[in-house]
Amino acid sequence: MTPPDKKLLARLPRTFVPALNDQIGRWELLFPCEQRVIRDQVEYLGRLPAREFDELFRSVKQLEARMDLPSWGPARSRITVSDTSLLVRSPYYPQWRVEVEKVFERINSGIEATQPQARLNRLLVCVLPAGLPVNGELPWPRLAREGRRVKLKTTFGEAQPELIRTLASHCARSLETIERMWALEAGGSIARAVGADATGLTVLSFDALAPVRREFLRRLNQIRKDLRSLDATYDDLRHMKLEGFLEPALARHPQIPAYIRDLFLSGNGAVLFGNSFVQWGAAEALRRAQPQAVFCAFGIRKRLKPFSGLVLFEDQTRANPVPEQDDPAASLEDGRILADYVRLAAERLAAYQGRTAGIFAVAELQEVWVLGPLALPEAPTGGIAPSEFAAALGAWLGEQPSAA
Amino acid sequence: MNRRALLRLVSLAAAERLRGAQKSPPSQLPHRLVLVTLGGIRRQESFSAGGLENVPRLHGDLLPKALYFPYCLNEGVTSHFNTISSILTGTWQHVDDWGRELPRQPTLIQYMQEQLRLPPAQTWVVTSNKALTAKIGAGGNVILSKQLLIEAVERIILGYSSRKKLERELLLEELTDVMQQDYERIGWEVPSPAATMDPRLKETFLTALAGFMKGPDNATSGDELTFMVASEVLRRVEPALLVVNFSDMEVAHSGVFSAYVAGIRRADTLCYRLWNLLQSLPVYRETATLVIMSEFGRDPDGSTTNGFFNHRTDTEECRLTWMIVLGKAVQKPAVVERVVRHIDVVPSLAALLGVRCAQASGERLPELRVRT
Repeated sequence: MTPPDKKLLARLPRTFVPALNDQIGRWELLFPCEQRVIRDQVEYLGRLPAREFDELFRSVKQLEARMDLPSWGPARSRITVSDTSLLVRSPYYPQWRVEVEKVFERINSGIEATQPQARLNRLLVCVLPAGLPVNGELPWPRLAREGRRVKLKTTFGEAQPELIRTLASHCARSLETIERMWALEAGGSIARAVGADATGLTVLSFDALAPVRREFLRRLNQIRKDLRSLDATYDDLRHMKLEGFLEPALARHPQIPAYIRDLFLSGNGAVLFGNSFVQWGAAEALRRAQPQAVFCAFGIRKRLKPFSGLVLFEDQTRANPVPEQDDPAASLEDGRILADYVRLAAERLAAYQGRTAGIFAVAELQEVWVLGPLALPEAPTGGIAPSEFAAALGAWLGEQPSAA
Repeated sequence: MNRRALLRLVSLAAAERLRGAQKSPPSQLPHRLVLVTLGGIRRQESFSAGGLENVPRLHGDLLPKALYFPYCLNEGVTSHFNTISSILTGTWQHVDDWGRELPRQPTLIQYMQEQLRLPPAQTWVVTSNKALTAKIGAGGNVILSKQLLIEAVERIILGYSSRKKLERELLLEELTDVMQQDYERIGWEVPSPAATMDPRLKETFLTALAGFMKGPDNATSGDELTFMVASEVLRRVEPALLVVNFSDMEVAHSGVFSAYVAGIRRADTLCYRLWNLLQSLPVYRETATLVIMSEFGRDPDGSTTNGFFNHRTDTEECRLTWMIVLGKAVQKPAVVERVVRHIDVVPSLAALLGVRCAQASGERLPELRVRT
């Protein structure tokens, strides 16, 4: 995308300019959906009459005038950790956040009014691993209010491979491949099962990304406790080449290495814990790439070792003689809420509201929670067969598989 | 300048405070304060129907003796350094959150030292939180206990030590070494040109470390070490003011919900033990007021800031916390239903000592009165 008109940049609030310049500067690393949104927003603002433009940003600019902001010029291309630190401690920061959200709501509703989007059916699947102390019960009592239990003929784990293949092949062909289906997993079984040849399926495995994570942690551990060092390391990591660490199927999309870098730099435990990686990775994928289907496979984490657990940015197997042990009870406690957080992340986004079916499952159980406006065939006494279940979800996604 | 060099510069200023940090004359102080701040804890994981199982000691054992303020509002920046310095100054602080700046107004430590003519040894901060620096308790003694532990663990893991395994005995040796050779790493606020640590204080810490490593509780967490150090300070130094911070629940930033909840449960137990310790020490039994409050909550489920992971939203879940007051300032156990603010706490506590926080903007809480 060509950079926005300098005159437009000069009229924007000061806090908006570095972020916009950053996005434009990384244009080829943005997902198609992000590119569409930014293009639409810039065009919308460019068309807006001067009076309405000024009115739109008045509150934000008034707050900015009272904030002790860094002296960003129109060419400033990103906000550093040091800048953020200044921004966040301003007494006006909470109001600023509210006003910024209002501005984007107005811009987005203005765009939607002029170019309504065709809405796709979407699907979200969250599955907890076998081996958790669930006592035969689906562990999301909160979902009982809005979901319904559906019985399967096999365990969900047995149905999973066929389901993933079917879903990937049923996503809308009108979408770019990177917008069709994403699978995020704490382990590596999906990545191993589907390999790199499943068109339209982007698989991100916490296990498979271990070399990248180690390199990130190595560099993060070199940060000295001052902001300049932090900014320098973050800048270094933002440009770290990941392609050599990734499967060719992932590396061929320039957005994927950039997404992984951004994800690991945005914290939230994504570089440290498999289940946090799945949850936060899914939330970011939903927000940024907006895939039609998202499959989240949580895992069992290791028990935090004495003392090593204090130093989260370190590999706890180093120098610690305590044997590694699974922690199924804690993994259940973590996975239950993190899976729910994925659902809540989708609910915040217009693209997913009202058109998303949700499946919440435990690999070793023969029933699932089903959420949303999805019609499933009547379950016979023994439960729905895996092929019927997969076909029904595939049909929901709206397209028949293309002829091979 | 790297962290080590920076800390060394700080340590060049060591001895005056260290010399002052031995047990003061009992000084017949009629009132002593212990203020405990806890990291971010949401109401839904603590004082709510679903959360009480995580705070059985606070709720079941301490609340019946306490003044309980269920609605304590943090109207400031919901980050650690700013929140704790807001509490300690009685004024909303907007300073650098990396601890590079002093709070803009005096803290309770400075007010007490000045108006009660207390030596530095009478005012202490012992804290777990890694985001804090010695500037949080300028003028007093500040111990960043968790940082000491992390330092020793890192030295072993990264191969900077001759000790190659994270075993209790070896870690204790490493911690002792850090204490003996590199004690500035514990973050002591030591503004003096000499650099020798008072042997009695050294003994205080070595006792705390040994208790932590060899005690019956099999302790391993940063908050347990903080508790041990705070306990030794109370036993050996008997300060007029001790500020303690527990932060194990901040593992929530990494999304490990189970560890976040375990951190809350640990803090619950440690607060109870702290109260029992105060009741067992003659100098504190009749004179101490213990305040337990959380810095903030955490973000609501479904927020754009990823719910319990963070504490950045301008929401009730994040800003509205609770506070428990025990001991001498409690005339009669009660629940105070109105909303109070973090910045009201220190002016109220100071007033109990006859100290005026001239630059504080918080208001005195009339419920806190010295028991007669």
